[in-house]
Amino acid sequence: MLHCEVEKVTYSCIISEHVKISGDIFSMTLNAAEIAEAARPGQFLQVRVSTSIDPLLRRPFSIHRINRKKGQIMLLYRVIGKGTAILAQKVVGEEVDVMGPLGNGFSIQKPFNHALIVAGGMGSAPVFFLMDELRSMGKNISFLWGAKTGCEIFSIDELKQTDINLLLATEDGTLGETGFVTDCLQRYLEDFNPSEVMGFVCGPAAMIYTVQKMALETSFEWQVSVEERMACGVGVCMGCAVPISTNDFKLVCKDGPVFDLKEIVCHG
Amino acid sequence: MVDLSVQIGSLQLKNPIMTASGTFGYGTEYMQYFDVNKLGGIITKTVTLEERPGNPLPRIAETTAGMLNSIGLANVGMERFIKEKLPELESLNTAVIVNIAGNTIDEYQETAARIQKHKRVDAIEVNVSCPNVERGGLAFGSDAAITNRVTQKIRTETEKVIIVKLTPNVTDICSIARAAADGGADAVSLINTVLGMGIDVKTRKPLIGRVVGGLSGPAIKPIALARVFQVSQAVSIPVIGLGGIMNGLDAAEFMMAGAAAVQVGTLNFIDPAGALRVVNELKSYCEKNQIENVSTLTGSMEKPT
Repeated sequence: MLHCEVEKVTYSCIISEHVKISGDIFSMTLNAAEIAEAARPGQFLQVRVSTSIDPLLRRPFSIHRINRKKGQIMLLYRVIGKGTAILAQKVVGEEVDVMGPLGNGFSIQKPFNHALIVAGGMGSAPVFFLMDELRSMGKNISFLWGAKTGCEIFSIDELKQTDINLLLATEDGTLGETGFVTDCLQRYLEDFNPSEVMGFVCGPAAMIYTVQKMALETSFEWQVSVEERMACGVGVCMGCAVPISTNDFKLVCKDGPVFDLKEIVCHG
Repeated sequence: MVDLSVQIGSLQLKNPIMTASGTFGYGTEYMQYFDVNKLGGIITKTVTLEERPGNPLPRIAETTAGMLNSIGLANVGMERFIKEKLPELESLNTAVIVNIAGNTIDEYQETAARIQKHKRVDAIEVNVSCPNVERGGLAFGSDAAITNRVTQKIRTETEKVIIVKLTPNVTDICSIARAAADGGADAVSLINTVLGMGIDVKTRKPLIGRVVGGLSGPAIKPIALARVFQVSQAVSIPVIGLGGIMNGLDAAEFMMAGAAAVQVGTLNFIDPAGALRVVNELKSYCEKNQIENVSTLTGSMEKPT
């Protein structure tokens, strides 16, 4: 339902499914036909978890997946603070105030045959929507997914039924290879011709930093989805700046959240 | 039918609700979300003579019922503002107020001189209260003599309405308000953000990069109300109140405390059309209470006998 006198921006969405994936990771499906229709992979939503003044601000979440036919969108989140704890308490049938879709998504119209996708931890959130779209476009996909431990990795059965070339790595070795997923990346890159591949990365700062180092040594093109604290989500508050040089910034919400990996300044 | 119009010096606003500087971009960003012509006015983010990149990260953090910011007046600079942003504001049918700041008194004056030539600009709001910059800002606004001098210098440049925006981070805000009024200000707006900070006890890191920033949102509303009340008793020029307004009743409360008009700030981040909702709610309040002129709310608090 569209809020009174506001165009294309905030929606009151009914929760149609809310599932605990494991530990503190949840997926929430919302009825939001307008957002599902407009959304592109890599875009995000600003969710108001409560109508009270504490917590005050909206929380940004990547769009995890969409179902245009059913008019549904899915969020994937980990409970990390006050806002996500409130979100986790919500039950099917309740309404959530959602603003979006916001930001610029991944550029997927470029001429590449093979998508090399690297995700770490909750960085997997936007990547599923990206893979759904890429598969419908007939692109080849290699998905390198790293996590601290095996229970943070999900939907494996579904992924294995597709033609996605899947590589898993966990720091504790409970699933897939032991160590960082970026350790496996180097040998992948050797097999590919840079002109045919587009790299996508989303994950913790240390992972992005490592991939950027590799990217800068090769001619592979990479897109990175960046996370930063934000207030407005629409380029007004200037809070979510990302450095692109020592004295210049871009805004994650408006210029991103997807950037050319070689353009931004990363810290390990 | 409620008359919602209010007067700020020679400037008439169609209603008392404006958007606070730094929370509404250059006025153009929210046009796609709602009809900003329904507001009393829009105030741009601070424009300085030269472009500024802003402060190191992180720049914002949420606190209990509020948020800390340390943006550092990131802006495109006056030249680009005039070339790229101002033309988009030409078609607006509401007051356009440009907020300015500088590193030196001369820079404030020069910035005012550049913008005052433009007919579309109805008023200039002078930011002598930003807590997140090394020079100018709060450093000027906590000194009555400098506030007076900055206001005087800008007065020599323009006939337009001058609003001086004050910081609450001073011992005696009334003396600063009087200094602005004596310097030729048509109005004062208050409060800018309250100095605040927070620490992540897990990492022992400050919540924002510059350690101390400015607190805004509902958390500061009682502080703002007290300042508006005090200043409105101390000066005869209109007081524009701001600090944590979330709805029409908050706006009415500020007016009763002494504000002739109000600004909505942090709410814009949460509810992109929040300022418009405040207008509608203030109107409903007036209708329900048989108030014909919203301006009669100003200073209407019943004082204890």
